[in-house]
Formats: sequence, C-alpha cells, structure tokens
Amino acid sequence: MSRNFYPELVRVDACDKVRGITRFGTDNRPENLAHGAFAVATIGKGRVLSVDTLSAEALPGVLSVITHRDTTSLKPAQFLMAGGYAFQTHSPILTAEVAYRGQPVALVLAETLEIAIEAAALLRIDYEEVAFAATMDSPLAEPVAQAQAPMRYPLEDVSVGDALSAYEGGAVKVDSTYGMERQFQNPMELIGTVASWDGDRLTIHEGTQNAGGCKFGVADQLGISPENVTVISPFIGGGFGQKNSMQSQLVLAAFASRQLGRPVKIVVPRRQLFHDTTSRPATRQRVRLAADREGRLVGALYDVDAQTSKLDFFPAEHADTAARFYGYPAFKSFTRLIRTDIPTPGYMRAPFEHAAAFAIESAMDELSYQLKMDPVELRLRNDTAVDVVSGLPHSSRHVAECLRRGAETFGWSRRNPKPRSMVAANGDLIGMGVAIGLYSGSGGPTRARIIARRDGTVTVNVGIHEMGQGAVTAIINVVAKRLGVQPSAVTAMVGDTSGVPQPLTAGSWGSTSAMPAVEAVCDALMQALAEAGVETSGNVPLGEMVARTGRDEIQTDASSVAPGQDPQVLGRTDTGRVAPAGPVYPGFVTYSYAVHFVEVHVEASTGRIRVPRVVSMFDCGRVLSPRTARSQAIGGVVWGIGGTLREGAETDARYGGVMNGDIAEYLIPVNADIGSIEVGFIDEPDFQVNRSGVKGLGEVVMAGVAPAITNAVYHATETRVRDLPVRLEMLLRSQE
Amino acid sequence: MKRFDYARPADLGSAIATLAAAGDGTRLVAGGTTLFDLMKLDVETPGRLVDINGLAELRGIDTGGDELRLGALVRMADAAEDTRLKADFPLLSEALWKAASQQLRNMASLGGNLLQRTRCAYFRHGEPFACNKRNPGSGCAAIDGANRSHAFFGGSDACVAAYPGDFAIALIAMDAVIDVEGAKGRRSLAIADLHRQPGARPHQDANLSPDEIIVQIRIPANSVGRASTYHKVRDRESYAFAVVSTAAAVRIEDGVVADVRIALGGVATVPWRARSAEQALIGRRLDAETAAEAGRIAFEGAAPLNHNSFKIELGANVVRDALIIAAGRA
Repeated sequence: MSRNFYPELVRVDACDKVRGITRFGTDNRPENLAHGAFAVATIGKGRVLSVDTLSAEALPGVLSVITHRDTTSLKPAQFLMAGGYAFQTHSPILTAEVAYRGQPVALVLAETLEIAIEAAALLRIDYEEVAFAATMDSPLAEPVAQAQAPMRYPLEDVSVGDALSAYEGGAVKVDSTYGMERQFQNPMELIGTVASWDGDRLTIHEGTQNAGGCKFGVADQLGISPENVTVISPFIGGGFGQKNSMQSQLVLAAFASRQLGRPVKIVVPRRQLFHDTTSRPATRQRVRLAADREGRLVGALYDVDAQTSKLDFFPAEHADTAARFYGYPAFKSFTRLIRTDIPTPGYMRAPFEHAAAFAIESAMDELSYQLKMDPVELRLRNDTAVDVVSGLPHSSRHVAECLRRGAETFGWSRRNPKPRSMVAANGDLIGMGVAIGLYSGSGGPTRARIIARRDGTVTVNVGIHEMGQGAVTAIINVVAKRLGVQPSAVTAMVGDTSGVPQPLTAGSWGSTSAMPAVEAVCDALMQALAEAGVETSGNVPLGEMVARTGRDEIQTDASSVAPGQDPQVLGRTDTGRVAPAGPVYPGFVTYSYAVHFVEVHVEASTGRIRVPRVVSMFDCGRVLSPRTARSQAIGGVVWGIGGTLREGAETDARYGGVMNGDIAEYLIPVNADIGSIEVGFIDEPDFQVNRSGVKGLGEVVMAGVAPAITNAVYHATETRVRDLPVRLEMLLRSQE
Repeated sequence: MKRFDYARPADLGSAIATLAAAGDGTRLVAGGTTLFDLMKLDVETPGRLVDINGLAELRGIDTGGDELRLGALVRMADAAEDTRLKADFPLLSEALWKAASQQLRNMASLGGNLLQRTRCAYFRHGEPFACNKRNPGSGCAAIDGANRSHAFFGGSDACVAAYPGDFAIALIAMDAVIDVEGAKGRRSLAIADLHRQPGARPHQDANLSPDEIIVQIRIPANSVGRASTYHKVRDRESYAFAVVSTAAAVRIEDGVVADVRIALGGVATVPWRARSAEQALIGRRLDAETAAEAGRIAFEGAAPLNHNSFKIELGANVVRDALIIAAGRA
C-alpha cells in the first residue's frame, strides 16, 4: 500500500523465536541455582507484625526465609519520576509496611521452585491492618490537584485562551464524562531475575526495557559500585511499559544470591503481577467541547481524574495529548491525581493517549451528530498545522492524509450516517466509526559502537532494547543499507550493559534515539576508513576496505542527542537516567499520528460486539523496517480492541487487590475476537526531528482504537458507551 | 501447592479400593485441568491423588446404539468431534467445543468436566475472602461483592457460586444418566441429581460419596436432539465462561412443539432446566413471539444480585435465539 524507502527485511530473530531457541532473561539457569518465591500480603494495607517461619524452614530443601528483619542493609528504591530507578518508591520486604493487598512480605529460597512455593504458603504472618482506599471512589481516596502536587517534574494544567468563555459562547456543545478501569500490561514474559555473583561482581539476567536503570538502581540499593554490575537483557518477551524501570524482586534476588553464595532466580507469577507492579491507572475524564455551526471548535475544557498510589505521584499527562488533537482556539485542562492504596501506576502502552483519545474522540463523535456533520469532515475542519499549546509549527502532521487515505481504503463513503440504519444479513447492526490517535515525539542521548571486520561482518552495539518490536531488525536494515552490506553480515548487540550504555527504551523514543546514533556510527566508520587512506566512494566491499587498512577490524564510536539537546546530556544516559527530550523542541513540535476506521457488528439481542474490519493509517515518519512496523501496528490495533472491549480490573473495595488477577478472568483478545486489520503508512521522513527522519510508532498504533470502536458502536446501536471496557449489559435495550 | 502422595491404579476395582481406604483429603485426577489449577491456588490441598488415567474401562465411547455411552475418561475434544453427536445431538458437541480452549479440551475428561468447580473469585483466591464452599462457616463474600458472574437461581444465603460448565447444561436437557461405581457397587443417577444446590452445605458440590467414581455418561437416543444448539454468550468470542448459555432442543410435529428442552448455564448454582418455559411451548407454534415468551418464563423467579440482574433480560434473549437456532435445524 505504501512505497517504502527501506526494504522488507524478515525479522532477524523470527526463526529462533518460533523454534524456542531464543533465550530470555530467566531462561538462564546457572549451576547450583536456588529459586525464590514470595509470600504476599492478605491485608489491604498495614504492617507486618511477625512472620512465623518455623514450618517453612522445616521443609526439606528450604534454604532461607527473608523478611524485612533481614534486609536492613538494603536501601529503599526510589521512584523513576522522583529521581530514582524504580517503578515506585516503596520497596516490599525492605520494611514492615504493607502498602497494598498482594504485596510481597517475605521471600523463601529453596532448592526447587516447587519447594519455595510450598514453603511460602507455610509462613504464618500476623498483620496490623488499617483502613485503605482500593479505588478512586473509596472514601479514603485522596484527590490532589496535579499542578499543586509536590512532584519532581511538575506538570501544569494546559491553558490556551479563555476556554470557559469560549465554551459557554459556543453554538453547539458536548459535555460528557468517560471512565476507564485499570488495565494491566500482561507481557507474555513474566517479570523475573536471575542474579549471580562472581566475587564482588554481580550479573543480572532479566527481561527489562531499562538495563541501564537496573544496573545503577540495584547498585544503589545494595550499596555497591555500579561498575561491578552487569545487566543482560538482549530479548524481552514483551514489555509494554511494565518493564521500564526496576521492579521489586531485583534487589531481593541479588541480596539473596549474595547471602546464599549461589545464583538465585525469582520469577514473579502472573497473579502477583496484577498486585505488585504497575498498571494503567483508572481514569474519569470530562470533556466539554464547543463549536460553531460550521463545526469549527471554539473552545474545549478537559478535566481528568487519574488514579495514583499513596506512595508516589504518577503523572497524568492526558491533557498534553488532548490539547494536540485539533486547532482549538481555546483549551483548558484541570487534572487531579486520586491517591489510593495500590502499587504506583505506570506506563502501559499509550499510557495516557489511549484514555485521552477515548475521551476527546468520543466527544468529537458526539459533536458530529449534533452538527449533523460527517465525522471525517469534522476532523478535517479542525486539523491544524500549528501546536496551539506552544504556538510552534508541527514538524510534520499528516492527519488529513491519513483521514483521506483511510476513508478511501475503508470505503467510508458507503456509510449511511444515520444510526441503526445499516443491518447485516444476519440481523446484526452494522456500525462504522473513525477516530484519531496521537503520541508525542521524543528522542534522547544514545551511544553506539561499530566494528567492521576484514571478513565483511559488522557488529553494531547501541543503546536500545529488543522487546519484540523489531528494534534489532530495524537496526540491521539501517546498517546494511548505509554500509552497503548484506543484512546477514550484520549483528547487533543491545540490552547489555557490558557494551555501550543501555538507557530506558520506552515512550516511542527507541528508534528516534537509537537510529540517529546508528547512522552516526556508520558514518564515523566510513570516516575512519577514509582517514586510514582507504577509498570509500567506489564499489569496494566493506570487508575489503577494512583489509586495505592493514588491520583485522576497525572500531568506531559515535553518539547522538535530540534536537537542541546539549551533548552533555549523554552523561545521564551513562548513569542510567532517563534523558529524552520532546515533543516541544526549539522551533517546532512533533507528534506521531494514527487514524483508525472500524466496522463493528452488534448482535442486537445480546449486545455482542464483533470487529470484523479495521483500517488504520499511521504517520510515523520514515518506516525503517516495513515488516516489523506492520506487525507492530497490527499488534497495537489488536491491543486497542482488547483495551476497549475486554480489559479491565475488577476490584472489591472491601478487600483491595484485583479480583480477576489472572489471564483466564482478565480478558485479553483471542484470535476469534480479531478480524481483518489493514494498516498503512504515510512513510514521509521528518528530518527536523532527527537525521533518520523517523518518528515513534510503538505507542501511537493503539491510540484512538477505543473511540473508533465505540463511535462505530454508537453508529450501529445509537447507544453511546462512555465507560470501558464495554460489557454486554451496556448495550442491552430493554424494549427488545 | 503442597506435597501429595500419588497412586495410579490399573483398574476400576483397585481405584475404588484405593479411594475407600484413603478417606478425606484424597482426590481423583484425570485431565487435571481443574484440580491442578486449584492446587496451585492452594484451594485444593489433597494429601493424596488417585490418577485414574490408567482405567481402560472408563475410556469407551459408543454412540452407535439406542443409548449413547461416553466413558468418563473420554477427552472433551474427542467427544466434541464424535460424528453421531455432531449429527444427532449438536447441542452436546457444541457444548463441548465451546468450552475452554483446544489445549484444555485435549486434556480434560468428560467426568472431570462435569465436576468442574466454580469460578467464583472469592472461592478461587483463598484467604482472606469469606467462602463457605472453600472454608465452611466463613461466610460468603460474593453475595455483597463482585457478583456479575454469580448465580441467581439455586443459591442460598451461604453461597451463590455459579456452576461453570457447559457440557452438563446440554446433558441435563437430554436427560442423561450418570453411572457411578463405588465400594457399595454400581448405581445410576439422573444428571439432574448429580450436582447439589449449595443450601447450607456449599462445600459439597455433588451427590457422590468419596469412594465413588463416575464411570460413564449415558444419553438416551431421542428424536429431539437433532434440532438443537448450545448457545453460549460470553465476554469474548472464545475461551471464556458463559455469561449466559442455553441448551435448547425442539421437536416440531404438525407445526407445533411436541417436545422441547431448555437448560441454562452461567446463571445457576447447578445445571438448570427451565421446565416451565418448556411447558409453555408444548402444543404451540414456535415463532419469535412464543420463543421470547419462553425466554421470559425461563427467568421468572430469579433472585438477582447487585451485578447480575442484566442476565434476566439477556438470558431471555439468549433462550429465544437458541430456540430459533434449534428450530432452524429441524
């Protein structure tokens, strides 16, 4: 569908992955490995008074039981967004405090995993329980205006013009509130650590998006030099934000391994992952839109309540996204963080954008019906080349082209605008919906190293993690094209702190950060060859060029930073800190965009929603690896469907925790839920944002799927669903 | 999960003897798809497992005669593919293949499936949730809790946990008979008598004594099964428990209903036969209107909880749709 600058390269790790050869973090089984299992809190909040370990320790094969009394030498972790490296400030088992149900309170080490699990269940733990707030609606939940919250990186409300007056003076208005339950990342690979010591050197195998952060974070907690820590994470079985910072088990595995004098493995089971790591926080969003009779927006008011923990202020950046959908002349947001007794929420794929798009794009759909205007046309009328928040131009914004191309591919013109007007042969109500999604562009300081050898092979080492998104395939595609070598001659080393620094890969800044560094290091190599007196402009194969230098191999280093960043910011990367900049750069603003067209079939008698067809168009700058980009896009749309129709935490406020804390009961899509998904890319490079012309893709792909579905559901049924996930009962019509 | 002893008897007699001698804390295991799950959750903590997979006499499948016989150890996947079931009892085949996933159906036995324990989260997730089924006398957290998936038929003040299975719903519509064998010999009971409503003793799911083993399921051949369906509505298209399901079968003679069977899943503590709805259809034409009326009648007497009252309306629609699908196969 789109002409691609880069060739179609088969995912380089595909064959190994489907054959089960790829070795993920906790697949590593060093000799003499001991296994850890957690006992978890059965209270909603409070503290551990005592742990009776007698019967657990009596079990043959049990090596040790670690409670908060044993860990006094360890330093508590600090929240990523408060200057630390961890997903939250609270460190289970480092204190007696129980911050939420399901939190680990003791760690059992044993010869086998089975013994460890059995022993953990034998621990008798006494608690002092205190009252808690499990949900945003709990009486003990504490709302705080985000702009006033004591955050290390403060977030102000967005304010452009006199939005309230503009809204009140508008000719056509929408005022709706949209709710979304907590959701969980659920990567296939569980969180886990294999820790081993060689003298005072610690080696960590762990699937993480942030090997650098883990290295410095665990060193800090253990009180050792980061020089002595190596974190190895070449493959991640899905991260989706859950693995973007240090998790609770890491320091405990390292500590236990040091205590026992043998390697230790801890894998956090699925059920515990619903209780002791991050989630997409629940939200409640009120949107007030006003437009003139021609459908031009005149003002928008946007109020967000987002759940956080009582441990940390997890930022709610919904408004920054919401304000970039259209060219609103006036926009005002007000965000509150609702503090509850849960683990600190975190970044789950399109962390704010999934929710923000649901609210803004649902409200736009509601507006389109009030205006009796085609929803595509309404969006085209409010497109903008200028960022209303900063007043700066967008570096590139191909929303209109995505809308037009998507509408044509989808067959939007066949849509009868009247709700409940399209009926399938089997009686199902047919609905068609459209929505935009967007995600901020950013990039960060990254180092790269390349080695070219006489035999023609090339190894490139760059700061990025392979989470399954295809980062390594894209890197090899770029290196092969730039150096004129076969992809099979190139290997990439990523996610391993024994090479160049490995900063956090997240926020769709993976490619935008790494690829400029990869290109720079390729250029540096050619420069080095030229300086060695080798003619580099002809058709001489790379290996021959290396040979002509008289050396076996040539190694060069390079680095890159985002536009306007001081190169000194590389120091942050070198110490495991998060350092990307964007989306507001000197002179321009950058976002990636998605437009989704969705067809739903709704069974009138049951409310069952099927999604037989999705067409999605993406504006992500240059496509570096067409095949893995397409996979990532399809995967994002699948998740969008799941995140709209299936996924949601169930909480019993009397107890806390998550009632449906396993993937039998927490529903994610199965194959039968997914129909045709057609994706296309504009593939226009944006050289303002970086030399590679690439904008982010991994997150934007699912942003906007939710409202496209619920807008289609409205078109089919005339029922406006404003709470996710959509459940059958929401669509029952009592008159039937 | 705690340690357990393990026995694998070679024949039915020694299995029963092993069970009779073992006493409390012994569990049969066949496919293990429910038991191992609950053992990992520490909800089932047997001290001894008796593995009956070696019992050849439980593996038979004979669907050729006037009575269909399905051995208790027949795997769900195999029974689902049986050509006689598919042709003459589509509700039975559908109830099987609409359950769980292919991988689970490859493992799970029919006998074990009948005795699948509830999916009530308060039951499955252990302490500190009050649950009379798991911990008699502790109370029921579901009655005032997250009870969207709980029962409004057949519950008690002590328990509203829904029976989760599908196959038993279809079997009860077909008046199947269960043969069981124990230390006192062999006996037969109607499938309708296999499961217990919780009453004051929710911890006892079935009317079986600890030494009894389900040997086989017998389904009397009939002429009503052919025009039938198992209509299952769930929160996703596959691999999910029923929000509401209906097993429906109908025989039309001279344009009116001569025989009809309606059974409900997802809404009751046991497989639930909707006999008054059936009665309302006998002798009448089956059309959208009478089917809808039967659907409404099927849900009369429901005692809805905080979060499941929508299933009265939904369920009535599902019964109606199931009847129409079934009649379409006549």
